Amino acid sequence: MNLTIENALHGIDELLRDRIGPAISDPFAAQMARLSGLLLRICANGVDDATELRVTENAAIRALLGAAAPLLNVPLASQMQAASISADPGLKVSVLDAENHRLRGLLVIAQIELESLGSEAAKALDQRIWRQLEAIEDSRAPRE
Amino acid sequence: MLEQRIAAYLAHAMPAASAFVVDELARIYGGSSQETFRFRGCWQEAGQAIERRLILRRDAPAGLVVAERDLEYNVYQALAGQDLPIPGVYFLELDPVWLDRPFFIMDMCPGKPGSPFAPNDPYDGHGTTIGQQFWTILGRLAAIDHRAVGLESLRNGMVTSGFWALELDRWEDILDEGEAVIEPAVRGAIRWLRHNPPPEPVKPAIVHGDYRSGNFLFTPDGQISAILDWEMCHIGDPLEDVTWAIDPFWPITRHLPLEDGLALWEAASGSALDRQALGWWQLFSAVKACVIWTTAATSFASGKNREMTIALSGIRGGHFHRDLILKMMRERGAMG
Repeated sequence: MNLTIENALHGIDELLRDRIGPAISDPFAAQMARLSGLLLRICANGVDDATELRVTENAAIRALLGAAAPLLNVPLASQMQAASISADPGLKVSVLDAENHRLRGLLVIAQIELESLGSEAAKALDQRIWRQLEAIEDSRAPRE
Repeated sequence: MLEQRIAAYLAHAMPAASAFVVDELARIYGGSSQETFRFRGCWQEAGQAIERRLILRRDAPAGLVVAERDLEYNVYQALAGQDLPIPGVYFLELDPVWLDRPFFIMDMCPGKPGSPFAPNDPYDGHGTTIGQQFWTILGRLAAIDHRAVGLESLRNGMVTSGFWALELDRWEDILDEGEAVIEPAVRGAIRWLRHNPPPEPVKPAIVHGDYRSGNFLFTPDGQISAILDWEMCHIGDPLEDVTWAIDPFWPITRHLPLEDGLALWEAASGSALDRQALGWWQLFSAVKACVIWTTAATSFASGKNREMTIALSGIRGGHFHRDLILKMMRERGAMG
């Protein structure tokens, strides 16, 4: 079996929870050891699919921006269209997070415009965006 | 040794006393915006041996929110004698020469907090009576004229209306400063709140700002002995505290039905609560919580604060309240 980052973090979590925490007499420090283990466990459970989750999310947001483009005025439409056909600049989590932040910012701009338009098409896309935000939150839920 | 430094400060603050000894110092788990320590202070004063159990509240290097250093101390002072269970406060020190960061010293009140996250009953079978006191105390707070107790200097203290917009602006500004990855759901909720303003309150109230399960002490006989953590106190709509208290992350309604609590609040405050406005303030509370969790995550990520509670609040609290916002927005028809 491969010793992965996930596996190692789970090991440290167990060490903190089962051996180090109970051996600490100071209640504050003991609680911090227990919470440190919990934090490691959440991190461990998010390691394996961190890239996949972000790549999938960025693609979903690009699809929404592409759908918004035809409904928006020219300068914004061009901006959304360009973003919709953009690609992730790399596969490091930090790079994907920066791209995710950029795309989310554009999604907020698109939603503000859609809300102001009031057409049925704009309303339907706005609702689709909200449903996608639900899906994003589900996928990002901390796994303990 | 922190004990010796505290003793040195007490000697400085009480020149008429002598022979200061500080011991039994222990940090208290829980406070995230400030560091909290309990200790025993002993000294000689006017020929008598004095022994006091005291609490030290010191600024954290970086907390959940940017707190005004002297705010909590001033609120405790102003509300003394107002029939609210709060600790007496003694010394406020802003000079970092004594303990590195500003701090104040107050009484250690009897009792213990009840964790809203405990799987079993956090109030040892006293949930109903504690819930009743909880709402009555909040009603009493709302009945106090903040100008009559010298709290005009609190945020919004000179304002008579528009509290919802002032508070929403404030939290959005904090979000703008601290958000590493933008959250469209939170931004969408803020826009909804702006487009659907609530009615004005009957009158301005002193808003505790973090009035909830876990931020008060209770004694073994089920009495609330101290309302704590006033760092976010300001003047505003009393519904802000009401909806914060019933937020599903720490709901006091776990111990007393909402309508029973609201009736007690109304009796104690002498005002009627606009139940139609509850929904607006509930969504506002979820947004406010999200901003606080964002600040927590940012301060941990920056290395300014390495408390595990701060990191976990940012991760777990952030998800909980974004999820809650999405549920509330679904109820408002946002998803179709």
